[in-house]
Amino acid sequence: MDIPQKIDLHMHSSVSDGSDSPAQLLAAVRSAGLGLFALTDHDAVKGCAALRELLEPGDPLFLPGVEFSCRDGEGKYHILGYGYDPQSPAILGLVEISHGLRLKKVHARLAFLEREFGFVFPEEERRRLLARDNPGKPHIGNLMVKLGYAESKEQAIREFINKLSLPDDFIRPEQAITGILAAGGVPVLAHPSYGDGDQLILGEEMDSRLRRLMGFGLQGLEAFYSGFTAKLTRELLELAGRYGLYVTAGSDYHGKNKLISLGDTGLEDASRGPEGLLRFFAEVRERL
Amino acid sequence: MTIELKGRIDSNNAARVEAEILQKLAGAEDQALTLDAAGLEYISSAGLRVILRLKKSHPELRILNVSSEVYEILDMTGFTEMMTVEKAYRVISIEGCEEIGRGANGKLYRIDQDNVVKVYKNADALEDIRHEREMAKMALILGIPTAISYDVVKVGESYGSVFELLNARSFAKILAREPEKLDWCVQEFVNMLKKIHGTRVPAGKLPDMRETAIGWARFMQDYLPEEAGKKLLSLMEAVPHDDHMIHGDYHTKNLELQNDEVLLIDMDTLAVGHPIFELGSMYNSFKGFSELHHEVFEKFQGYSFEIGAAFWHKALAAYLGTNCEAKIREVEDKARVVGYTRLIRRSIRRYGLDDPGCRAEIELWKKELLELLARTDTLLFSLNELELEAVTENLPELQAFVEERLEAADCPMKARMQISLAVEEIFVNIAHYAYAPEKGMATVRVEISEDPVTVTITFLDHGVPFDPLAKADPDLSLDAEERKIGGLGIFLTRQIMDDVAYAYKNGQNILTLKKKLG
Repeated sequence: MDIPQKIDLHMHSSVSDGSDSPAQLLAAVRSAGLGLFALTDHDAVKGCAALRELLEPGDPLFLPGVEFSCRDGEGKYHILGYGYDPQSPAILGLVEISHGLRLKKVHARLAFLEREFGFVFPEEERRRLLARDNPGKPHIGNLMVKLGYAESKEQAIREFINKLSLPDDFIRPEQAITGILAAGGVPVLAHPSYGDGDQLILGEEMDSRLRRLMGFGLQGLEAFYSGFTAKLTRELLELAGRYGLYVTAGSDYHGKNKLISLGDTGLEDASRGPEGLLRFFAEVRERL
Repeated sequence: MTIELKGRIDSNNAARVEAEILQKLAGAEDQALTLDAAGLEYISSAGLRVILRLKKSHPELRILNVSSEVYEILDMTGFTEMMTVEKAYRVISIEGCEEIGRGANGKLYRIDQDNVVKVYKNADALEDIRHEREMAKMALILGIPTAISYDVVKVGESYGSVFELLNARSFAKILAREPEKLDWCVQEFVNMLKKIHGTRVPAGKLPDMRETAIGWARFMQDYLPEEAGKKLLSLMEAVPHDDHMIHGDYHTKNLELQNDEVLLIDMDTLAVGHPIFELGSMYNSFKGFSELHHEVFEKFQGYSFEIGAAFWHKALAAYLGTNCEAKIREVEDKARVVGYTRLIRRSIRRYGLDDPGCRAEIELWKKELLELLARTDTLLFSLNELELEAVTENLPELQAFVEERLEAADCPMKARMQISLAVEEIFVNIAHYAYAPEKGMATVRVEISEDPVTVTITFLDHGVPFDPLAKADPDLSLDAEERKIGGLGIFLTRQIMDDVAYAYKNGQNILTLKKKLG
């Protein structure tokens, strides 16, 4: 089995912050003509289980994935995991910890908004919010709009929610990497040039960051990414070649929540390499 | 459509900024999108992603007025190589600044003691500026002294490029203030011209003037009688490809004297081609443009049309290495064919045929052109001067060069053989001794004057001063001893030629041989 031409190994469903349900996402993947895809929800693997159930013969190849938001003293990282054993306690544990941290933050934010601004969140709404797979600032913002406390989600976040800064409640990159490895998966650094949000990591800084993460067991780089210019991709391919890292390609599709189209990775034809991508495919082929 | 970017674009507001831009774009998706970043202070990676998405939906996306800080980010991340990103430029005023030069695409002003700015006519000149910079850099690498711009500025609605030009004066200005320096200016002007025309350019680096000129001739087909049109085209087509440099706009405002160095400026018209194309545009600068209205010239160059005409004549004579009027006239006529073709096309394209003022000018040029076409059979000409390395291996090339000129002058066979012998003696002498043990260059000039027809051959070299005509030199060294053997050659030469004279001037040995024919 060779790697298909059109691939996209980075996308989100409504299990995290995408707009498409797993079923809608599958339909979109089919019509985008992808030959291989991976679902990589933030801190969640539930969508992958759902998606696997929906697959029919003739569908594109599907690789289960996940994207963990991580942080340590050096910065923020998004770590992708591919081809893990979905039953592995290691991966479920990571999801649980991440989800727990998320819920803790939501609780803290709601308490802050009530205490500081006197907003009232009805019990029913509060429960619905916490029952979500991946509740965060946008969901609180939407709820505030619904309750008439703000004009828009953005205004709610800017003027109220962001007034509370929370401590670093993220898992650490070594936790994510070792957890993915323990679950038999391949850990890959997502959009390496963009750490998270505003970070721009280039040159020497990128090099030392990579070597540190490789010390934890990082195996690959998302060198092809919808938000990258050819120059950034070149730089990452060069690094991947230097360190023998796998190469992946992903769009970061979020459905209607972001203006990114499925399959927009900057890689025209995966079957022609690069070599690090072909090696990645050989590594995960058995886990599709 | 232009959208302004303001303040910071980071993860806090990137989504909102994107939504706002999309809202403005709604219904205008097909329009070319320009982002005006004059007010943009900072952009984070979240903002870069927004720009990249806009680029995908609007492939023609351009970002203008980018601050140095933002430009650096866009450059590091490769945005500058995938879309047009223009920096915000320093704004300067040229009010009250002296105009010191003028070229095909813009005017040159002195902004202070050390700096000048070239203001481009074309409002969208950034590409032109980049082009000219590339041209100037290449010329400098190939050995042409020039100035290279170090900054791009905004001048009103136009762009300008800034050069350092210390204490420099254009040749036009020198001629306007000190007409007595005419001969000196001509000499330097011609030296530079020869330097340009002696510079070989690697293939594909510069436009080919021959193709451009053939284009002019094609354009002219609609405006000339059929016969004349055909002839013009075939004359242009018969000019062979030539990979030597031509400046394309060579006149006295584009040559600057900086301290003691002569600099060529206004490099945006550099091309490769036969020198006749250069002479054509030079004819226009000195005479063609102002043929009907002489005051146009004075307004342009700052000195009189008469001085300009004298300058042109002397420069052409020096360039050709002859003072034979017939020869000068012959080459000037060829230059005029190229020149008028260009002028007529330019006027028609710029002003059309309806403007009565232009019409009179075009009619004059056309009349001259038709008259010239009737008696011109080739645009080719040859220089009367050959510069070559003084080594005996080059003797056949030199002899062919001399032969060709003698043949053109209907020199009788016997005299040709005699002159050829003399040329061999003198050249071999220079090759053996002038630079020994090093090697060096020699220049040989062949001039033919009339009444009576006289051939003058001049040898110039920068070797050790040596007068071969001095019968005995009291300080003869061993080298000079050997030169005595060559004395036989000198003896022969004196027998053959009517006059042989030696001079040492400006560090050069100058040996002049003259022979009257018939």
